[in-house]
Amino acid sequence: MGRTWTSMDDFEAFLDGGGIVEVDDDMPDAYRQAVFAFIEMHANSELMGGLTERDWIPRTPGLRHKMAVLAKTQDEIGHAHLLYMVGADMDIKTRREIIEDLFAGRSKFHNVFHYQAKTWGDQVAISFLVDAAALASQQAVFKNCSYGPYRRILKRIISEEGFHMRMGEERMLRIADGTEVQRTMFQQSLDDWWWPSLQLFGPDSKPGDVLMRWHIKSERNEVLRARWVQKFVPLLMSYGFSVPDPGLTHDPATDSWTSGPIDWEPLKRTLAMGGPDSARRIADAAANWADTHWVRRVLDNAPARAAGVAA
Amino acid sequence: MSTDLLADRVRTAVATVDDPEYPGISIVDLGLLESLDTTPDGHVAVGLIPTFSGCPALSMIADDVRSAVDAVEGVATVDVRWLGAPVWRVDRITETARATMARDFTVAVRIGRGPVACPRCGSPTDEQSMFGPSRCRAVHTCPTCAEVVEVMRA
Repeated sequence: MGRTWTSMDDFEAFLDGGGIVEVDDDMPDAYRQAVFAFIEMHANSELMGGLTERDWIPRTPGLRHKMAVLAKTQDEIGHAHLLYMVGADMDIKTRREIIEDLFAGRSKFHNVFHYQAKTWGDQVAISFLVDAAALASQQAVFKNCSYGPYRRILKRIISEEGFHMRMGEERMLRIADGTEVQRTMFQQSLDDWWWPSLQLFGPDSKPGDVLMRWHIKSERNEVLRARWVQKFVPLLMSYGFSVPDPGLTHDPATDSWTSGPIDWEPLKRTLAMGGPDSARRIADAAANWADTHWVRRVLDNAPARAAGVAA
Repeated sequence: MSTDLLADRVRTAVATVDDPEYPGISIVDLGLLESLDTTPDGHVAVGLIPTFSGCPALSMIADDVRSAVDAVEGVATVDVRWLGAPVWRVDRITETARATMARDFTVAVRIGRGPVACPRCGSPTDEQSMFGPSRCRAVHTCPTCAEVVEVMRA
């Protein structure tokens, strides 16, 4: 058995001192729930993102892209796999319950996966803008995360997401260097995906945010969001693309960019499973789960192999 | 410059290139560097072998090697190639890299067919899935400390 704490104050003092909680520790229930919900959403998002990526395997323009999309799909599904194991170890839901809740629309996944990727340009925008936003959020967790098993998995996930970002940059550069048709397609994708990517960070963090207090997240949403805007606005402009934000302002003294007012309604709709593509995505993921039932059955019924490996 | 000195400098430069998925672990320690030839007038040929032939990081790694070698004093041209042989095996990973992977990434390296020790507590782990986030890795769990472990394998 792991450690115990006499009170919440005692536990919080442990966290404030840089303490790391392990799975067999007797952590306060509210903390366990908060960490679990966070991991569950991350895991679901990796799975839904992986399935989105998979949709593009037969549709990539060229073999090099196909290789990258194949590998990225495996990465994302692999991340989901690792995270579901870490989540299930917290003894709140079994892995099966987590999956069933996702398919029943009872648990969350990132807003960006509630939209449809209609063109290759959309896929490039996702790997360029969305992956960067997701990576920035994950880094903010990893930096100071008080839950050990998640922190260790995140370290590996972040290194791989960093690699995806480089692939995204490569895809973006290629399209920016392309024909007028390609550039027009990509501008349309930027127009469609800019706001969902920005909303991925969420509204400004509340002062009493337990995720901050319990050292699950180490940076406020608005700080991460502002940093992302500061990076991508000048970058896209340097390639001759425009950013679909009429309220965008530039301060020449500090050379900094600030986004205009953000409409949070679309984010709220996705969280309520009412995004433009939510229903189809969830149904698709559930159908995929049903279609692959035979694989799980075969593996579950192969104890000899598992025992052989351990022996 | 003597070719030995140049080769040493180039080798050092190649060793600064990290695996894109394992920042802090050099591709030389992962056993990717197979051959390195230099001529007295500064022509350099680097031969690398991939862990898996379908690895999507190949062009990125080659680019990184090219720019690292390009920056070495005395280098005139650089030719970086992915070789078809020999086949990469996990035992090409150096002890240093194995230790870093265990310590910094909780990743174990599977040599041979015996049990795989948990990088955190040293107990034998159980295989959960033959494949993890990449083809060169399996997913194990540790029954003792409950850690979810990735295992590099050939």
